Amino acid sequence: MSLSLPTPTVERARPLLGTTVVIRVEGEDDPAHVHAAISDAFAAIAHVHQTMSFHEPTSDLSRLHRAPVGTRVGVSEGTLAVLREALALADMTDGVFDVTVGAQLVRRGLLPTPKESCAPDASATWRDIELLDDGVRLHRSMWIDLGGIAKGYAVDQAAMALRAAGMAHACVDAGGDLRTIGQGPHRIAIDSGLPADHIAVIELGEAAVATSTGRAFDYQGAHLDGRTGLDCVRDQCASVVSARCIHADALTKVALALGEASAPFLRHYGATAHLQDGTGRWTVLGELPS
Amino acid sequence: MNHRFLLVPVAALVIAAPVQATVYLSVEQAQALMFPGATLAPVPITLTAEQVKSVERASDVNVLSPQVKAWRSPTGGWFIADQVVGKHEFIPFALAIDEHGAVKSVEILEYREAYGDQVRNEAWRAQFVGKTHASPLKLNDDIKNISGATLSSRHMTDGVKRLLAIYELVLAHTNG
Repeated sequence: MSLSLPTPTVERARPLLGTTVVIRVEGEDDPAHVHAAISDAFAAIAHVHQTMSFHEPTSDLSRLHRAPVGTRVGVSEGTLAVLREALALADMTDGVFDVTVGAQLVRRGLLPTPKESCAPDASATWRDIELLDDGVRLHRSMWIDLGGIAKGYAVDQAAMALRAAGMAHACVDAGGDLRTIGQGPHRIAIDSGLPADHIAVIELGEAAVATSTGRAFDYQGAHLDGRTGLDCVRDQCASVVSARCIHADALTKVALALGEASAPFLRHYGATAHLQDGTGRWTVLGELPS
Repeated sequence: MNHRFLLVPVAALVIAAPVQATVYLSVEQAQALMFPGATLAPVPITLTAEQVKSVERASDVNVLSPQVKAWRSPTGGWFIADQVVGKHEFIPFALAIDEHGAVKSVEILEYREAYGDQVRNEAWRAQFVGKTHASPLKLNDDIKNISGATLSSRHMTDGVKRLLAIYELVLAHTNG
């Protein structure tokens, strides 16, 4: 085998999760097999989109928002898994990470008003979500938004589908929340939204990277501190490297809200955050990269 | 998670072309993926001025061209190749509709906006002009992904809405 042969690459893109999801597989010889694997991976993401969307009227979230307070609502295994991770992080951070900020994001015009749903109770928090074996019970009326965590989960599910199909070198990229398969090295440039004479590049093997910034928002952003309901500093950018994209995705929000105080939570997940402030200076938080 | 964090001087990066284009699938490849094993028959359609108006009314999306590149499957499904205007460039895509008029799948065929705003920004890009000498890193070659460049798929959603209106108002009544 000659090392100078170009590696065959199959790359496809679909509009999902409100962004463009790109899946790339390298180094496989059977294109039909690769396309089937990529289709499976997209299907896994589409399933997350359908069940966890705030917008889709048939999603698990929309059914929860329509149900009377206190009733058990059956949800998919994936929705339960994401809520479980979200509540664990909420508990650990004492509510800095809180998926019940939906009502505030609706007020800001960042999410549409859910149709036919009960008006949200202003005092509702993540503590009012009860997870059952096969469903969810809300103890106060609320609007849950999984926008800060479900995309990472979807990327993980797609990566698992690719791995199950035997793909050894690949990347799933959902608009900045991405996960690599294979030792690479994979190089990922960070678009922090701040023009600079240096560009940050993360070089990694098999891992997940997620990036969040408030810089794209002019007035009120999408990132709130769940304890106070106040905006995180918008003029900063957080990129988190972690084994699983669900953790990388959610931890970017914790890093934006807490800055250096997010370090213990990052370490709990074996994650590292690279946080850029308004002057363009980068700080490393959590697990130190070797 | 083990990784390296590098700050690369912008001057050390090279962009081969001002706009990066990634071709994902040809129309033929998309047809084979979206209607496996089926022979699709081309049914080229030109919308009348009247039809353009009703499609725009029904979908609330502008019709870019009256020409509709449509194919029909033996079971009554449709394959349509179209494009939407992205932030800066046209984005060709394909839509597969099943025999009941429901969306089977959407595939983006080509993307010419692979990089984030910062990289797309002309002033930022101007820094690369003339810097084509040997370089340690090439965008889109050594660096294949950008994190943080969330690309809205709003235009794609609009494009699909437009094609579904064309299906409802025209294709569903066409004998291919």
